[in-house]
Amino acid sequence: MQRMPQGRPPFRKGRFDFFRGVGMSLLFALVLVGTALGQQVQVSGIVTSVSGEFLAGVNVGVQRTDIRVTTDAGGRYAITAPADGVLVFSFIGYRALALNVAGRSIVDVVLEPAVAVLDELIVTGYTEQRRADITGAVSSVDVASMAKQSSASVLQRLDGRVAGVTVDASGSPGSRTTVRIRGVSSFQNNDPLYIIDGTPTEDTYINWLNPNDIESIQVLKDASAASIYGSRATNGVVIIETRKRGSSTTPRFTVDVKTGMATPVRGYDDFLILDALDYHEIVKRSYENAGLPVPTNVYGDPNNPTVPAYIWPNDGVNQTTTVDENTYSFPNTLIMPGSAGTNWWDAVFDPAVVTDVNLGMSGSGEGHGYNVSLNYLNQQGTAAFNRFQRGSARVNTQFEHGRFTVGENLAVAFEQFVGGAGDPGGFAEGGILGKNILMQPVVPVYDVGGNFAAGKAVTLGNQSNPLKEAWANKDDIGKNIKVFGNVFAGVTLAEELQLTTKFGFNLNEQSITGYDPIDPELSEPSFSNGINESYSTFRDWTWSNTLSYSTTLAGRHEVDVLLGQEANQNRSRFNASSINNLITTDINARYIQDAIGDPDTKNVSSSGGTGALLSFFGKVDYNYAQRYHLSATVRRDGSSRLGPNNRWGTFPAFSVGWRMSQEPFMQDNQFFTNVMLRFGWGLTGNQSIPTGRIVSQFGGGRGDTFYAIQGGNTIAAGFRQTSLGNPDLKWEENQSINAGLDLEFFGGSTSLVIDVYQRETDNLLFDPPTPGAAGVAAPPIVNIGKMKNRGIDFSLGYTGTVGAGTWSASFNGSHYRNEIVRIDGVQDFFYGPIETRYGNQVINQIGYPIGSFYGLEADGFFEDDAAVAAHATQDGAAPGRIRFRDVNGDGQINLEDRGIIGSPHPDFTAGLDLALQMGAFDFSATVFGTFGNEIFDVQKEFYVFRNFSTNVRSDLLTDSWEPGKTDAKYPRLDANDTFSGQQISSFYIEDGSYVRLRNLQIGYRVPQSFVPETRVYVQAENLFTITGYSGLDPALPAASTFGAAGDIRDQYRGVDRGAYPSNKTISIGISAAF
Amino acid sequence: MMKALYRSRLLSGTAFLILVTGATYACGDFLEGAPQGALDEQTLANQAGVEGTLIAAYRVLDWNNGVGGDWGTAASNWVWGDVTSDDSYKGSEASDQPNVTDLELYNWTTGQAESYLNDKWRGSYEGVVRANATIKLLNAVVENNPAEISQANQERIRGEALFLRAHFHFEAWRMWANIPYYTEDDTDFRKSNVGVDPVASILSDLDQAIQLLPATQNDVGRATQWTAKAYKGRVQVYSGDYAGAITTLGDVRTSGPYALEQDFSRVWTGFQQYSNGPETILAYQASANDGEPDGNNANYGERLNFPHSGSPFGCCGFHQPTQNLVNFFAVDAVTGLPLALTDPNWNARDANLDATASAAMALDPRLDWTVGRDGVPYKDWGAHAPGWIRAPAYGGPYSAKKSAYESASGAVSNVGWVNTQLSSMNIHIYRYADLLLLLAEANVEAGSLEEARAIVNEIRARAGMAAQGPGTSSSNIAVAINDPSTTWADYQIGLYPGPWTDQAAARTAVRYERRLELAMEGQRFFDLRRWGIAEQVLNAYLAVEGTRRPFLTAATAFTARYNLFPIPPIQIELSRVEGEDRLQQNPGW
Repeated sequence: MQRMPQGRPPFRKGRFDFFRGVGMSLLFALVLVGTALGQQVQVSGIVTSVSGEFLAGVNVGVQRTDIRVTTDAGGRYAITAPADGVLVFSFIGYRALALNVAGRSIVDVVLEPAVAVLDELIVTGYTEQRRADITGAVSSVDVASMAKQSSASVLQRLDGRVAGVTVDASGSPGSRTTVRIRGVSSFQNNDPLYIIDGTPTEDTYINWLNPNDIESIQVLKDASAASIYGSRATNGVVIIETRKRGSSTTPRFTVDVKTGMATPVRGYDDFLILDALDYHEIVKRSYENAGLPVPTNVYGDPNNPTVPAYIWPNDGVNQTTTVDENTYSFPNTLIMPGSAGTNWWDAVFDPAVVTDVNLGMSGSGEGHGYNVSLNYLNQQGTAAFNRFQRGSARVNTQFEHGRFTVGENLAVAFEQFVGGAGDPGGFAEGGILGKNILMQPVVPVYDVGGNFAAGKAVTLGNQSNPLKEAWANKDDIGKNIKVFGNVFAGVTLAEELQLTTKFGFNLNEQSITGYDPIDPELSEPSFSNGINESYSTFRDWTWSNTLSYSTTLAGRHEVDVLLGQEANQNRSRFNASSINNLITTDINARYIQDAIGDPDTKNVSSSGGTGALLSFFGKVDYNYAQRYHLSATVRRDGSSRLGPNNRWGTFPAFSVGWRMSQEPFMQDNQFFTNVMLRFGWGLTGNQSIPTGRIVSQFGGGRGDTFYAIQGGNTIAAGFRQTSLGNPDLKWEENQSINAGLDLEFFGGSTSLVIDVYQRETDNLLFDPPTPGAAGVAAPPIVNIGKMKNRGIDFSLGYTGTVGAGTWSASFNGSHYRNEIVRIDGVQDFFYGPIETRYGNQVINQIGYPIGSFYGLEADGFFEDDAAVAAHATQDGAAPGRIRFRDVNGDGQINLEDRGIIGSPHPDFTAGLDLALQMGAFDFSATVFGTFGNEIFDVQKEFYVFRNFSTNVRSDLLTDSWEPGKTDAKYPRLDANDTFSGQQISSFYIEDGSYVRLRNLQIGYRVPQSFVPETRVYVQAENLFTITGYSGLDPALPAASTFGAAGDIRDQYRGVDRGAYPSNKTISIGISAAF
Repeated sequence: MMKALYRSRLLSGTAFLILVTGATYACGDFLEGAPQGALDEQTLANQAGVEGTLIAAYRVLDWNNGVGGDWGTAASNWVWGDVTSDDSYKGSEASDQPNVTDLELYNWTTGQAESYLNDKWRGSYEGVVRANATIKLLNAVVENNPAEISQANQERIRGEALFLRAHFHFEAWRMWANIPYYTEDDTDFRKSNVGVDPVASILSDLDQAIQLLPATQNDVGRATQWTAKAYKGRVQVYSGDYAGAITTLGDVRTSGPYALEQDFSRVWTGFQQYSNGPETILAYQASANDGEPDGNNANYGERLNFPHSGSPFGCCGFHQPTQNLVNFFAVDAVTGLPLALTDPNWNARDANLDATASAAMALDPRLDWTVGRDGVPYKDWGAHAPGWIRAPAYGGPYSAKKSAYESASGAVSNVGWVNTQLSSMNIHIYRYADLLLLLAEANVEAGSLEEARAIVNEIRARAGMAAQGPGTSSSNIAVAINDPSTTWADYQIGLYPGPWTDQAAARTAVRYERRLELAMEGQRFFDLRRWGIAEQVLNAYLAVEGTRRPFLTAATAFTARYNLFPIPPIQIELSRVEGEDRLQQNPGW
């Protein structure tokens, strides 16, 4: 029953925040003055519950120091503390207890159960605070529950765990994660700022961070909490602390091994046509309904169709029945047999194994503490030839000597992504998902020579063989080497005055190698192959210095003061190269060298960026008798990305709290154990734009400015303006108001937290399109837009007993409404960043949420000619085709009838976490639900409208419109109907709501006489999903979307372009400690 | 008390030190962040920079990379000039490039049509922007460093830039007529299109260019005085100034460096030795295998316009000739003149005119340089076959041919998505035969009918010089029109016997000749509009062609408003200043 301590970063100095004064020993020497601390004694004891159970994992700390240990399985602890010090015992689900050491060497403790976590210390930004003193919107993540998931990235495990936080990711191993806190506030990147052991980073993967190392995660959701991080805090802050030290002087070793089997939650083979002749029926009806001759080159006589002996060669007219297979020659003379029904999904997707192994060692002793861990993760993709591997090591140590503290938190990770089954391209056509997996069932996987086949003949489309795509990319490897961490030093200058300096670093080196094969098997063949590789380096350092002071005046006025300064600089460099027309495709020869390919095709380029931030900040927390709380923050940030005159931004915030339950008039109340009212206001900043945009840039490229002015194939250099600068760029500012209520009742067993908020972003950084007459240079980035979010978050928790066991449930929910208030003062709208085949379905329009869906309103199907005649004039109107609504009533269906037809933003998202502990058994479950969000299913272009002769949904056979059929789901099969599907309309939109059992785990603690502290468990992730969405998986990842002004993926959400589906994973695991 | 004092001293001392540290960052230009990997304007303020800026303006002559503009900005104008006319369909299959289908079916107010219109608008003005950038930079260099660029080079550069500025404005003017005109002095890019006389500005720029440009240039791709003069005549014909055109074009014909190629096989060719021959006035200088990793400098705008799957090219079957166009190449077996002149049933044939069907038919030899037909050699790639067509029930059995390079020419690109569609074959923007026919047109309108006849006969005589043969090298792809190997047709071409006395008949003859000579070269729709007969011709065409290709029955009837393309609504929106649209939409849209 070892539960993880929550929100306890044990190495931090109590409420005396460590002040990151920069590690200049010179500085220290100058300020080295002080008084002797009290005499140290060794204290030990046993912590038990009221029922006599030994409590393992209880945090025991010396108040106002960073000395901290946790109890072992027998509830035992040993700690060094001043003889006159105070020991604080805290443990989730129990009331914390503070006891004077008073010279004792043995202090045994009995903890009383409570949901209240009010005395828990949590990190909220350069400092720790008692939960009870927090007046901003801060949520803690239940790390223990989060640990019961197997995704590589810790971010993917946040889903549904914190009210107001949403997470999107694809099922592709090691894929990127999109975390959003309280909606979207900017046209640019809305990623939160991550603070890992005090070092900031903006990283949408964080695959390098071993989830097993994490001790606590706090989410700062509103500006009053986050503004101490000023710049970059607009989108909220996620504070992650790793485990710092063990509890005993003898090292404690832990082993955690988990292995599981993943399968996609759903496959296309669940709803596409799998039989070649069934597919022919679709083709036949489409042509016959259009009055066109049915093609005969594949299936022969349409009235007596047969699976062809061969699909290629083919003369375009006749079915091929005989071919001399001896004439086969790769790549020029291919021969492909016909297939009675290829299941393409099955050819590509298979169950895949996930293995996660963790080794840990931790301990502490007089004047030191440490935690060392090793991790190996191997996550096979469910798509062929695709996997993610990670090896990581972490060393956290800390040494105390007298008034000094030094230490480091260091993680080194190596990650490897193999295979290229990533995000589909703009037309939903790239990758092995997208339309490629919609290959016709008559097309075989292999040709007669054993090479990959594809639909080479006319009428078979031009999809790439998805298995070939996967195979060709099997040696495409992305490698990432990451060194992330910090070194820190602190000194206690006086009893209540602490100086801390911390130097954080984030070093990253990435390489990617890729291969493009020739594609002779395609209908549109290509005989040019090539290799490419790229390297990028990223260096980021952050140096912070803080000084903290804490005092209690007249016994009831508690004052904490924090002053700090921080500098950050980052540099990135990217180098890419390629060569085509390879002499050999041998994997060992894949280097960019003249002799290996056609040297004329060799291409090399590099690019880079550099940015810097400089900050000064201060914070004052005050409370009177822990009843009236006041917190004020101010931070001043300078950014190199902004104009010289607007470089500096000031970000103030304040919050107040009233703990009503401390009032005398509440003292007799038996119901509430805690009542706290909170209100906060604050400003935060955003400067997430590319560097160097304050001046105009010129450049050019061989492909768009160079020209063969002399004729022939020699090109002369050309230049053009590539981007327009804006010397007046300034901070984007987010003003947020938050009002919250914390309640605890039923003797502390039940808690409720409610927050309502409004976030208003002004001076939105944004690059509105310039008129065509200004040319195509990237428009200047300006500060002019405005966006608003309003919402409510709540969480409800309960802990109870059932027989000899305990159980708990927590439910969180959130709702927000996003609205674009102003764009640039000229335009009312601008379109989304990605066009699909049929145009742009996404618009950003004043008065509506960012990334709304835009198009015509589909209004059923025309019943007959009379219905066509009665309707407004509509291009291509005919019975059985989609009828669009004449929104403006002008008697014509045209662009003017387009409007907002949907939104990817949910009305409500919720998470439910259940846990039950019964003797040696434990059980837990996590459910996530999203409601009211809509999905624009671009894949319908293909699997409904058969664009490019792809495979289609099998229900098209039964649910397509026919004369007299009133319950048709799809328009009439009609090869001439380029109207129904090619208009962007609400026909493509479906409700994307779903409820998913994210996780289910049953564990058993093996009796200790047998082996020491061993728990075994089985778990299932994504076991079931309830949804009305007819596509593959309603849990869509955000597409990779970049504009000239940076990451703009929030302008393009909820569009299904064929994403790698989530996986159902069944695992078994064992955790042991000794 | 002592303790508090002590503390505050300590506090302030430490705070001071931290501030000092911070100030150190600030002083060291810590927040200065220069752009990485980019040039600034100063770096380009010299001759190399000015020349390079000019090169970038030429590059926009065919411009598909960088803007994401697909094929709406192809040098050949195949989308705007052919697909919208009776010469070609969009082709390929119904659902590929639906934007072009909307243009083809006159659904010009759809979002898909708008996106292509917007590409064309932006592409035209990007050319203008680059031309103006050249002039601006030249002015700055001349002012600050007069010795940097010689007087002769200054004049040449300015002349070329003015010429290009005129060309790109002309492209926009042909499309929309009501356009704003931008010069190097403009800083407001939301100018109105009301009360503007773009033709006067185009002609003024061309006149200046004629003054400034040399008569010859070392680089074949550069505009000369003669290029500008020829272009001026073109603008004069387009704007109805026939007298002016006769003077300008007559001068070019008499004194200029241009001539017709010896035979038609050398007009559109991938053979380097025939590129930039005497007939070339202005061409996009395509280059392949020039180190550009995606083949973007090759004739990218034409890359879709090759036969599909079963052909040696593999993709993509666009720009398919219409049955109407194929039928139009039939000639009277006796006179060798276009059958359409004398036979009202010239367009009766619905069936595929393959090699077998045409074996005994009298045909203009230019048909088989213009249209890929089954059984007929496709340049030197072997016989065109049914399996080369992507969706015959949709786009018919024919393929575009002029923009295809010869196998033996070696013009093919080594790189790019479906590299076989890319080549170094130049794209004619303005060739001498076009000029001659414009001059003939002006002569007809001015009443000089015999002048016109002489020109038409000159064109026809050249057309009779060679026919597509079965050969496979540069010397034998073309054969004499009566060569026995051409078993797929009875090629005939006759000259007009004189004299021409009826202006209307002469007008018809010139217009027919223009269609035959320049078919599939992106001209037809602009010609029909200029002649004021687009509505009549295209509605008649749709009525018949719709019975052959059912998708055309969905076309919107052509009315007067289609004589100008709608200005892309997004550009009108972007022209808004204080709530008022500076760009006014064209009539009827």
